[in-house]
Amino acid sequence: MSQSPILSLLQLADSQTPIGGAAHSFGLEGLVSDQDLTVDDLQGFLIGYLEEAGRLEAIFCRRAYDLASSPDDSFAPDWVRLNREVSAWKPARESRVASATLGRRFLRLAMGLSDEARLHAADAAAREAGCDIHQSTAFGLVGSVLGWGIDDTTLACLQQNVAALVSAAQRLLPLGQTRAARLIWDLQEVIAGAACAGWETACFTPWLEVASMRHPALTTRLFIS
Amino acid sequence: MLSVCSIDRFMANNLISGSVDASYAVSRSHGQLVLVFDYDAACKRTRLVSRESRPPLQVVRPFDLPDGGVLLHIQNVAGGVLGGDLLDVNITLNAGARVQLTTTGANRIYRPRETDGPAVQSTKLYVGAGSLLEYLPDPTIPFASARYRQTTNITLGDGAGLYWWEVLSPGRTAHGEVFAYEKLDIAASIDTEDGSPVVRERNVVRGQGAPLPPNPGGRTALGSSLGPYRYLATFYAMRVGASSIELLDAERSLTDLALELSVPGETVWGVSALSAHGLVVRGLSCRSRTLNASLIAFWRHAKRLLHNEDIVIPRKVW
Repeated sequence: MSQSPILSLLQLADSQTPIGGAAHSFGLEGLVSDQDLTVDDLQGFLIGYLEEAGRLEAIFCRRAYDLASSPDDSFAPDWVRLNREVSAWKPARESRVASATLGRRFLRLAMGLSDEARLHAADAAAREAGCDIHQSTAFGLVGSVLGWGIDDTTLACLQQNVAALVSAAQRLLPLGQTRAARLIWDLQEVIAGAACAGWETACFTPWLEVASMRHPALTTRLFIS
Repeated sequence: MLSVCSIDRFMANNLISGSVDASYAVSRSHGQLVLVFDYDAACKRTRLVSRESRPPLQVVRPFDLPDGGVLLHIQNVAGGVLGGDLLDVNITLNAGARVQLTTTGANRIYRPRETDGPAVQSTKLYVGAGSLLEYLPDPTIPFASARYRQTTNITLGDGAGLYWWEVLSPGRTAHGEVFAYEKLDIAASIDTEDGSPVVRERNVVRGQGAPLPPNPGGRTALGSSLGPYRYLATFYAMRVGASSIELLDAERSLTDLALELSVPGETVWGVSALSAHGLVVRGLSCRSRTLNASLIAFWRHAKRLLHNEDIVIPRKVW
């Protein structure tokens, strides 16, 4: 039987994918530490996150998806430039490094599972240029190469982001599994909206950014970011 | 980015088709300010070598600074930005020049008439090799119903330095106007001369002057972005070519200051090394009172770390 895109999507988009996502809170730990975020605030917070940061990640995921089918000679410089642009949109170092760590690990995991040449070309180009590979761009590239649809790829990328945040929230706040599942379930419409919100880049999340910037100074930390 | 030319083309096309109110096009201002600075190696001083201005934008005259640089105050003689205004600022620092730019007062974004388009301010700054720009404008205060678009594009040459802050207030709080504006669209980019992106920002903020459904979770969309705070301050401290080790050391040092100045629930500050060439400091506050003093403290500390120099506070009433 030939490889099934749906099976590879389900496997790689799973929250248990071994890339280290569970070690990052992307600033959430800082907000909880400052007592700015409670369980009751989570849904509103995640909606705001998806409408701003999620929308931006979706755009980069889609751009990487499209890039996968670009000609060989333009792929490497465009891939490097795209990832540098993502870095420029991420002012908080810990969140930027987290995105880059997860992106590189995700790409390398996919490279270990599939021998698609474009995945190897992406890794080599970034290594040569000394640039990061971000989670959203790696996800878009892998999705395109493995034959997932562009909408499915973007939705899965955002769903994975939200699941990681909710998982972090479960370890930081009194949030049980059933309520966590309900939270993610109820965000489906917002995820879909963010995934298909056009190409205009914008992101207004200073509260989360400041929390992420303050995170390294916390005396006790559960998460790397 | 929508250039002023393309806006003019848009207006012209839509005036012909009748879809834009003619009074809007006639009444708007198209202010312009173009400044070019050179470094005079013989005198070891920076010179303003070219100045073009069109109201409502103007500068008075350059004031010499003790470090060989010059200070200029940008003034909007209209007292603020009116609906539909197009303001274009283009400033070039050629190699070695040192310039401090500030404003004569807050950037007030007035309530527009219903027929007015958004006010647009476009600023392009070129900071050439080895030059230094300290761009320290007063806060932006969007009045009720304001619609405003601002783009700031900065290009940095080799070894160039930049210290730039911006403060966004929620409105005329003394008049009870808090987030009463309609829409702000504030974008910034910082690139190195070889075209590498270093900073990208675009904050599209819909205030309560715009119809905004509350989030089911209780906070408004704006609350999700700003949390319990009202004021946003951003400060960039950059030196092209600074090593990642220098930047991480500077981040640690400035973080100590950020912690000292933070009182969670009232004001919080965060500091981060950018992916290259500099640092960003962000502050959120419920009040404006302490922001300026804190920004000056960050500027002073960052300039010692990145340029090993003391700051010169601009001559103005803060």
